[in-house]
Amino acid sequence: MEMTFPNRAWAWLRHNALPIYAGFAVAYMLIPIVVIAVFSFGATPRGKLTFGLNDGFTTEYWRSAFSLPDLNEALFTSLRLAAVATALSTAIGTLMAIALVRHRFRGKRLTNLLIVIPMATPEVVIGASLLSMFIYYTFALGFGTLLIAHVMFSISFVVVVVRSRLIGFDRHLEEAAADLYASPLTAFRTVTLPLLAPGIMAAALLAFSLSIDDFVISNFNSGTTVTFPLYVYGVSLRGVPVQVNVLATMLFALIAISVSLVLWQQRRAEKMASVRPEQEGTSMPMPPAPPASAGAPA
Amino acid sequence: MGLRQRLVPYWLLAPGLIWLVVFFVVPMYFMGELALRSGSLTSGYTFDWAWSNFPDSLSGHTEQIGRSFFYAGTATLLALLIAYPLAYAIAFRAGRFKALLLFAVIAPFFTTYLIRTIAWKTILSDSSPVVSVLQTLSLIPPDGRVLATSGAVIAGLTYNFLPFMILPLYANLERLDLRLVEAAKDLYSSSRQAFLRVTLPLTMPGIVAGVLLTFIPAFGDYVNAQILGGTSQAMVGNVIQSLYLNQRNYPEAAALSFLMMALILAMVVVYIRFAGTEAFMGDEEEEPA
Amino acid sequence: MKNRARHENRWALALAAAVAAAVVAIGLAACGGGTVGGGNSGEVSTAEGGPATGKLTISNWPGYIDPGKNGTVAEFEKKTGVKVDYIEDINSNDGFFGKVQPLLEQGESGGRSIFVVADYMAKQMYDLGYLEEIDHADLPTVFENLEPSLRSPAFDPERKFSVPWQGGMTGIWVDTSKAPGIHSVNDLFDPKYKGKVTMLDELRETVPLVMLGEGVDPAKASADQWLHAIEKIGNAAESGQIRRFTGNEYTEDLTAGNLVAAIGWSGDASLIENPNAEWRMPTQGCTRWSENMVIPVGAPNTAAALAWMNFVFRPNVAVDITEWVEYISPVKGVKELLEERESELAESPIVFPTEQFTRNCTGQNTPPELERVNEAWQEVLTG
Repeated sequence: MEMTFPNRAWAWLRHNALPIYAGFAVAYMLIPIVVIAVFSFGATPRGKLTFGLNDGFTTEYWRSAFSLPDLNEALFTSLRLAAVATALSTAIGTLMAIALVRHRFRGKRLTNLLIVIPMATPEVVIGASLLSMFIYYTFALGFGTLLIAHVMFSISFVVVVVRSRLIGFDRHLEEAAADLYASPLTAFRTVTLPLLAPGIMAAALLAFSLSIDDFVISNFNSGTTVTFPLYVYGVSLRGVPVQVNVLATMLFALIAISVSLVLWQQRRAEKMASVRPEQEGTSMPMPPAPPASAGAPA
Repeated sequence: MGLRQRLVPYWLLAPGLIWLVVFFVVPMYFMGELALRSGSLTSGYTFDWAWSNFPDSLSGHTEQIGRSFFYAGTATLLALLIAYPLAYAIAFRAGRFKALLLFAVIAPFFTTYLIRTIAWKTILSDSSPVVSVLQTLSLIPPDGRVLATSGAVIAGLTYNFLPFMILPLYANLERLDLRLVEAAKDLYSSSRQAFLRVTLPLTMPGIVAGVLLTFIPAFGDYVNAQILGGTSQAMVGNVIQSLYLNQRNYPEAAALSFLMMALILAMVVVYIRFAGTEAFMGDEEEEPA
Repeated sequence: MKNRARHENRWALALAAAVAAAVVAIGLAACGGGTVGGGNSGEVSTAEGGPATGKLTISNWPGYIDPGKNGTVAEFEKKTGVKVDYIEDINSNDGFFGKVQPLLEQGESGGRSIFVVADYMAKQMYDLGYLEEIDHADLPTVFENLEPSLRSPAFDPERKFSVPWQGGMTGIWVDTSKAPGIHSVNDLFDPKYKGKVTMLDELRETVPLVMLGEGVDPAKASADQWLHAIEKIGNAAESGQIRRFTGNEYTEDLTAGNLVAAIGWSGDASLIENPNAEWRMPTQGCTRWSENMVIPVGAPNTAAALAWMNFVFRPNVAVDITEWVEYISPVKGVKELLEERESELAESPIVFPTEQFTRNCTGQNTPPELERVNEAWQEVLTG
């Protein structure tokens, strides 16, 4: 083929079409985030969001980010809820993952099924069914019922993440520990757990995001407790205060940094314990079922 | 193996199993039970084997059910078309940017679902530059709008569930042995043939997982329809939400969600028959030492 | 061979699991609730009076009180030392009821001591046993200053369980820069405004307006006339004429410039950031309504709630509220105070509507055959 300029350009385009496309696709995914961040700097007369940024930019709302008591309380409630739910679901899920990977037992398939199905169930159904049960027992809806729901839908995701980490685990290190007369429990404590830590952290982060993000299930089961997404829903009906954008951007930054840290830790742990040299190192805790808040999109 | 040893897995599983059974399985029973009641808030709901609630709830809402299939189906298809090349690019062409790209793909999750959707509402509002551009490009009529249309809802669904499609596809593509594709080419097949006959079939499990994980939640979603939609975009999720929270018609609401759950279970079971739970979970089980 | 054994094993296990689940479920059912709904069947109690202390939680609609450091809430806190948690979480009567009903059903109020809900919702709550009664002796300021016309409304003739908060009118908000010619509710059905019009999702406000537009008196209309109006609205929704049915969110759409007109509430100017939007009395008449403070069962601090009610009925407090929210105050003497302040609100027909202004207006009527009509309405709402 003659290497004229158009030919070369065309060839270059064809060769790089895929990466270029990927660039556009990723940009598309990030549009709302950029919009939210940009709008957190918008100046509006009554502190509510309007499109157009006609009144220019300001850092006013960043400085007064915590000036709305209702918003603060909702965010605080969400953080509290997420913290407890994460602790519980990560612990429970990790134990389950260990059992599933390292042990033989009857009913493995059933257990797998029980874990997989909640991930695939629409949130409306989960929320509604929990509500049905709570109504039946005239349970008081509130923080408690929210906690129950959040732990429930997080367990599955934790299991999947920790499981995928466990599977790629090099047993040789534990065997070495055993050779050095360590009991199984000690080996677990001193070798397995620390190396597993990044995976557990990733799972915990996932559970945390899911909980903070949850809207649908919380809407059904919160009674009069207000979580951050529920607050946002309420104000979206009459004008979102700019502070919401500010806090959302902050939350984004917080989680983004945490994930980066965990990934970095993951890389280090992997180098020490990876088992499949021929596989391209995946530096992500890659659950086949993606992290979803959306899934459990909320 | 000693008895204690054998019981270890059961102890490990117990908290999780109990929690899932009590708070996932049992509520399904209660939902079914509630569906068999009749009555109203003021007179109380009495349990009287009201099987009629099931067909009634369906017949009254065929439009929304059909619409949900259409929206979720379209969104899933669009997501697949967008996600496959992207996942492929990340798996094979990303080089050192791989982690970064994957990070970018899940980054939307770091903002609340609701806020993302509201951001789209702002971006697509009638007076926004985006809509003006679309009007100039004649993609929509000059006085047309994007919000409160089916298009907006489908766009929202596609966007929000895209990561669910990308990640299983990526996980699957990543494990694809490129040597197989090379071998096909060595045997004189064209790039296109190699793709259709080698790559595509091998990545089918990833595709199916992605499709399921996208379609099912999209089908039951109501937030997108509520925020981005108008009067004629209500989906099944909106109906259920309205019946439960606005009309307090618990029996009909429960019947409808129970039926939806049954439909989904059927789809999941079919998939598991096809691919096994291990494939769904993504990895082969490790044999214990 | 091995596969078959595993297969059988799996089914055996599934069966065992199903049986176990059934046993658990039946066990739970046996020792569980049993009755669902039917209202609270306990005795109706009267709210306890006493000195006001502690914490008071109020649920109200947004944009319904003057906010900030000099607002009524802050003033009340300063005067009485009671800490007030003022939550604006009511966006629609039905929606709010849906949220609190499970709590009220078992005598809990979710920490709230006051709700502010519409007439018909207050009555509905009272009939279900969800409210506490109020002793007039505990509310001297209220009954001293209550407008005579509100003393004995049809839904609560003896004011046993409700105290008015604000009143208002449902009419048409118009974006004058886009559609200056809209004056009647029938204009909303004009095809040239297709997709740029919203209506409220309240059955008792939107449908009567449409009925008035057709010359039907909502107070005397038959169920069929209601259904006819609902059908008309339903057709408009299906054809895309009506963009959405909203609670408060029409204010958002107006602000964003998505609409030319919306059925909305007279005092919502504080929520709409569109200088071209103005509220208009529909030619054929509006719907008048009022909201009420009620005390739910299980209210934690009824003494403070009663003190709050007395407080907001002082004319000098009520005038501050009115000045901000621009709704119709139930307190006597507010107009005079506004005149003293030389506020133009004193002349505003929205805040002080004359008989003449509201001559065609109707109240929040409940339709006959409520269940049938409500079902038809809900069908329209959920598309």
